[in-house]
Amino acid sequence: MERHRMLKESQIMKIHYITGIAAIFVVAVHILMRLIVPFGSSLEYDYIISNYKNIFYVFILESILVLISIHGFNGIRIILLELRQNKAWENMITIMTISATVALIAYGTRTIILANGL
Amino acid sequence: MKEIEHDSRNNLEGIKGWLNPSRYGWERISYWFQRLTGVFLLIYFIGHVYETSTIVNGQNAWESFLELTQTVWGHLFLIMVIGASSFHSANGIRLIFTHVGIGLGTPSRPDYPYSPSSLNYRQKSGIWIALILSAAAMYYGFTVLFGE
Repeated sequence: MERHRMLKESQIMKIHYITGIAAIFVVAVHILMRLIVPFGSSLEYDYIISNYKNIFYVFILESILVLISIHGFNGIRIILLELRQNKAWENMITIMTISATVALIAYGTRTIILANGL
Repeated sequence: MKEIEHDSRNNLEGIKGWLNPSRYGWERISYWFQRLTGVFLLIYFIGHVYETSTIVNGQNAWESFLELTQTVWGHLFLIMVIGASSFHSANGIRLIFTHVGIGLGTPSRPDYPYSPSSLNYRQKSGIWIALILSAAAMYYGFTVLFGE
């Protein structure tokens, strides 16, 4: 029986690698933002709010959210598919991981939008 | 293209297969660490997204949540996150290189004692570099978090 898939597993692995490499760079910027001031001060409410109002940093935060959510939940999908392989399991895992990815991105984006308006 | 379909191809060993230490070698430790750190980092990331969402409830909500993490155990947990993310990144880069064929060496005749040519000094060095970078990052994290 022929199976119709949106993406081949090899294409998904490329996405996994690209999101992983890109995440290293954006997370490095995120960490640097904590280190350019004393670590304790970097967690103060006013400093965090000023971060959320910086459009460059908002872009970095959203990138981290999207890249790590895709990379992380795809990693979980890969692990779960290593443990068991059949069509029903694969479909269920794919639906669950895509749903979790979308939910986490939506929740994090909500924080970014609301904090930007504070 | 038609794919070969099976009703079910369950992995008989499952997680027990991962955890069986009797067959551990360099590659196996790295395989296990990569998955372990990946799952750990995803759990941390979900917690971090939730933690940072408290900021929308105002300064008091943010500071009271922050107090939970600004403890010795909170800092030790963060150092674990630093170590896990450093190892996962460095070892992940090694795996990407390996997947595209870099660092695998040339194919050779399988002679006794049948050491796989793909598990050569480049691969072992990559795993060591990931472990050393991870330890260095944890040390740096320790000086930042406990040096205040």
